Amino acid sequence: MAPMVEIRNLGQIYRSGNGSVPALQNISFCVNKGEFLSIIGPSGCGKSTLIKIIGDIIAPTEGTVSVNGLTPRDARLKGMFSFVFQNPVLLPWRRLLRNVSLPLEILGREGRDPRALLDMVGLSGFEERYPWELSGGMRQRAALARGLVFDPDILLMDEPFASVDEMTRSTLNFELLRLWQETGVTILFITHSISEAVALSDRVLVLSSRPARIRDLVTISFPRPRDNAVKQTAAFQEVVRCLKEKLD
Amino acid sequence: MFERKTRLSAISSPVLLLIIALLLWQVADKLFHFNPIVLPSPLEIGQAFIVNYASILRETGITMLEAVLGFLLGATVAYALAVLFIHFRPIQEAIYPYAVALKSTPLIALAPLLVLWFGNGIASKIVMSALVAFFPVLVNAITGLTAVDHETLDLMKSLSASRWQTLLKIRIPNSLEYLFASLKIASSMAVVGAVIGEFTGSTRGIGHLINTSSYYLETPLMFAAIISISVGGILFFGLMGILQHQVVFWERETES
Repeated sequence: MAPMVEIRNLGQIYRSGNGSVPALQNISFCVNKGEFLSIIGPSGCGKSTLIKIIGDIIAPTEGTVSVNGLTPRDARLKGMFSFVFQNPVLLPWRRLLRNVSLPLEILGREGRDPRALLDMVGLSGFEERYPWELSGGMRQRAALARGLVFDPDILLMDEPFASVDEMTRSTLNFELLRLWQETGVTILFITHSISEAVALSDRVLVLSSRPARIRDLVTISFPRPRDNAVKQTAAFQEVVRCLKEKLD
Repeated sequence: MFERKTRLSAISSPVLLLIIALLLWQVADKLFHFNPIVLPSPLEIGQAFIVNYASILRETGITMLEAVLGFLLGATVAYALAVLFIHFRPIQEAIYPYAVALKSTPLIALAPLLVLWFGNGIASKIVMSALVAFFPVLVNAITGLTAVDHETLDLMKSLSASRWQTLLKIRIPNSLEYLFASLKIASSMAVVGAVIGEFTGSTRGIGHLINTSSYYLETPLMFAAIISISVGGILFFGLMGILQHQVVFWERETES
C-alpha cells in the first residue's frame, strides 16, 4: 500500500509569554492510503495539534508532512482534507441539505449528491430541517455527511462521537466503518475511547503525555467487516487491556 | 395554554395599571384642582390631542421620518465600517478610538454645530440621529462578525475558503443576532437624537411643537405631543423586535 501521509520528525513548540511549551516531539509515522488509523493518548497531549498540522490548519515548528507527495498546504488547496470535530458545527441558519452542501459551495466543485449522502447516514426525510431541530446524534451524522460530500481523500476526525450517548456512539461507529468501506477514504481518528479505537482501526497510534511522543503503533488484525460482536471476544479485550497498559 | 395565559396577562396587567393610574389622576385633579399649566388632567390632555391631532400627527411624522432616515444612515455606515475593521486591523486601530471618543461626547453638545452646518431643516436632525444610532451598531456588529467559534473557522480554513466566502457564508449571518440586538437600541436612540436636534433649532417636528407649547404655556398640548412621540418610538422599537424575530429565526430556537 502506498503511504497517503508521511510524517517525519514532527515537532511543535508553543511559545507563550513565559517560555515555550513543547506539544509534539519527534513524531514520525506513515498513514496508508485507505487506512483507518486511530490516535489515542492522554488528554491535552497534542493529538488535536497533530491532525491540525496534517490538515494545514496550523504549521509545525519542526519536521515535515507529505500528503500524497504534496505539502499539506497544496493538499489543502486541492480540497483533500475534511475535518469532523467533536461539535458538529452546523450553521443554524441553514437547513440540513444546505449545511451538507456547504463544502461544495466553498470548493466550487461537484461532489456527491447531498441528498444521497443524507440518506446514507440515515437522515433521509430531514433534508429541510434545521440543525436545532435534531438530536445530538443526528447532528453528528449530518456533520459526517458534510465531511464526505466533496469526496475528500483524508478524513481528519477529532473525537467526533465524544459528545453523543453510548448507544448512539456505538451505532455511529459502525456506520462510519460502513461509509469508510464504501468510499475508500483514509481516516485519522482521534478518540479517548480505547475500545472504540480497537473496534474501528487498522492501526492505533499511542501517544505519550505532553510533549507527545510515539509510544507505540499497534496493528489491529481483526477481520473485516466488523460489527459490535467483535467487542465481546476475548482477543478484543486482550488488545484493549494491552493498549491501556501502554497509556498508563 | 399556560403560555397563552401568561402572554395575555403580560399585556392586560400594564393596561389595567394604566387605566387605574389615569382614573386616580383624574379624581385627584377633581379634588385638588391642579394648575393645568403645571399638571393638566388626562381629560384635558385628551382634549388637546383631539383639537390639535392633525398637527401633532404631522409633526410626529416628521420627527419619525428624521429618526428612521438617521437610523438607516447611522446603522448602514456602522455596519460597513465594522466589516472593514475586521478585515483591516490597522484601520480599526486608527479609527476605533475616535469612535469611542464620539460615543463619550455628550451629543447634545454637538447639536448646535450640526444645525450650523446642516441648517435648521431635516438634514441636521438626520445627522444627529445617525450619530447616536451609530455607536451601538458598530460595537455589536464587530462583536457579531468576530464571535465565530474557532471550529467553524477551522472548517472553513480546511476547505480553503476565501475571506469573502467566510464573510458571506459565516460572519455576516453570525452577526445578525448581535446586529438586531443593537438595532433595537439604536431605534430608540435615533428618536432621541431627532428630538434633540429639533430642540436646538428647527421650525418643524415634535421637538419644535413641544418647545413652542412650552413657550405659550400650553401644557396639555405639550403632554399630548410627548405621548405621541413616545408612541412613535415604541412602534419603531417594536418593529425592530418583529424584524429580529423574523430574520434571526434560529436565535429563539438555539437559546433554549
